[in-house]
Amino acid sequence: MTTPELEALGALTREYAAFQSRKSGLATALGGLMAVVLVIAALSPNFMGVHFTDRLLIEYLVWVPFLWLALKGLVSRTLYRGLGTVKPTPDGAYERRRWFWILGLALFLLAVTLTAMYAFASGFLQSNHSRAALCPPPMWILVMPFLYLLPMPWLIRGIEEARVYSVLVAQCILWLIPFFLFSFGPPNPPMQSGWGLFGNLTGIVLVVLIELIQIWGALAMIRGWKEHRKYLAILRALPREA
Amino acid sequence: MSKTGALPKAILDLDRIVHEPARLAILTVLASAEEVAFLFLQRITGLSKGNLSSHTQKLEATGYLETVKVFQGRIPVTSFRITEDGRTALRLYHQQLRSLLPKEGKP
Repeated sequence: MTTPELEALGALTREYAAFQSRKSGLATALGGLMAVVLVIAALSPNFMGVHFTDRLLIEYLVWVPFLWLALKGLVSRTLYRGLGTVKPTPDGAYERRRWFWILGLALFLLAVTLTAMYAFASGFLQSNHSRAALCPPPMWILVMPFLYLLPMPWLIRGIEEARVYSVLVAQCILWLIPFFLFSFGPPNPPMQSGWGLFGNLTGIVLVVLIELIQIWGALAMIRGWKEHRKYLAILRALPREA
Repeated sequence: MSKTGALPKAILDLDRIVHEPARLAILTVLASAEEVAFLFLQRITGLSKGNLSSHTQKLEATGYLETVKVFQGRIPVTSFRITEDGRTALRLYHQQLRSLLPKEGKP
């Protein structure tokens, strides 16, 4: 056995092990697709009034990050563990980066929750405000940020996965904000000068974010597919069974 | 003793447990991960079940690897991990072999 062959053995093992902990292959592609679908759903006409069996569309969309987690687990189990588990060598720097993403998302969700609580407490958002034209989202949706946080330390194993999950969660929050603003916000906001500017700025930010999410989603689909092909190449590189 | 005279002894000093190709492959794979399942080790080395078992038993008896047995549901799953002694032996073997081989470009 020559040195390059030994190096190839080591490299194949490391690559295969990466799929058990850091890479997610098709799950990344699926996450990109879901991010794009979320954008399309949110851009559908009358998004805020769309109902399915007496529920608002957003009440289904907020579960998309969990659906992705479930699909990711399924993909990982069925596609990337066919030859048994190979635990990669621990990498402290990688773990720190993973936790950076987890804590980053946790801080974002905390900030959103605290802002929502402050908005209700200060009277800016009024839960008893009735607006016949808009369908207010149910209040249980405010618990979602906490639910999003729960599975992160255990189910988000790699940085790529953390990115996908963060984009999906951030999108859900992004689409929830208009619901709460328009359903519980001050009446006739466009009539006030400050609101007009706020509305324009929010619109620009929203358009930029939508474009970024779509680009990211497309890139994630390509990256995930490439990763999957790399995995298939690993399987092809393995010797035939004895 | 001349350098050429020292070579045979250096060759004889090679760790024969590591020197065997199948065991060398096993140790190389194990050194590239924290824990490796039996199935993957079998596929990547291309060894038969019996052959792999016999080599891993030998390596375990020497203290170069340890066997981890867990149950996934009701199915027993066997994995292996390299020990510190095994890692040292592999590193030493590489060093010895490199010092024995002629430099590139020289016959």
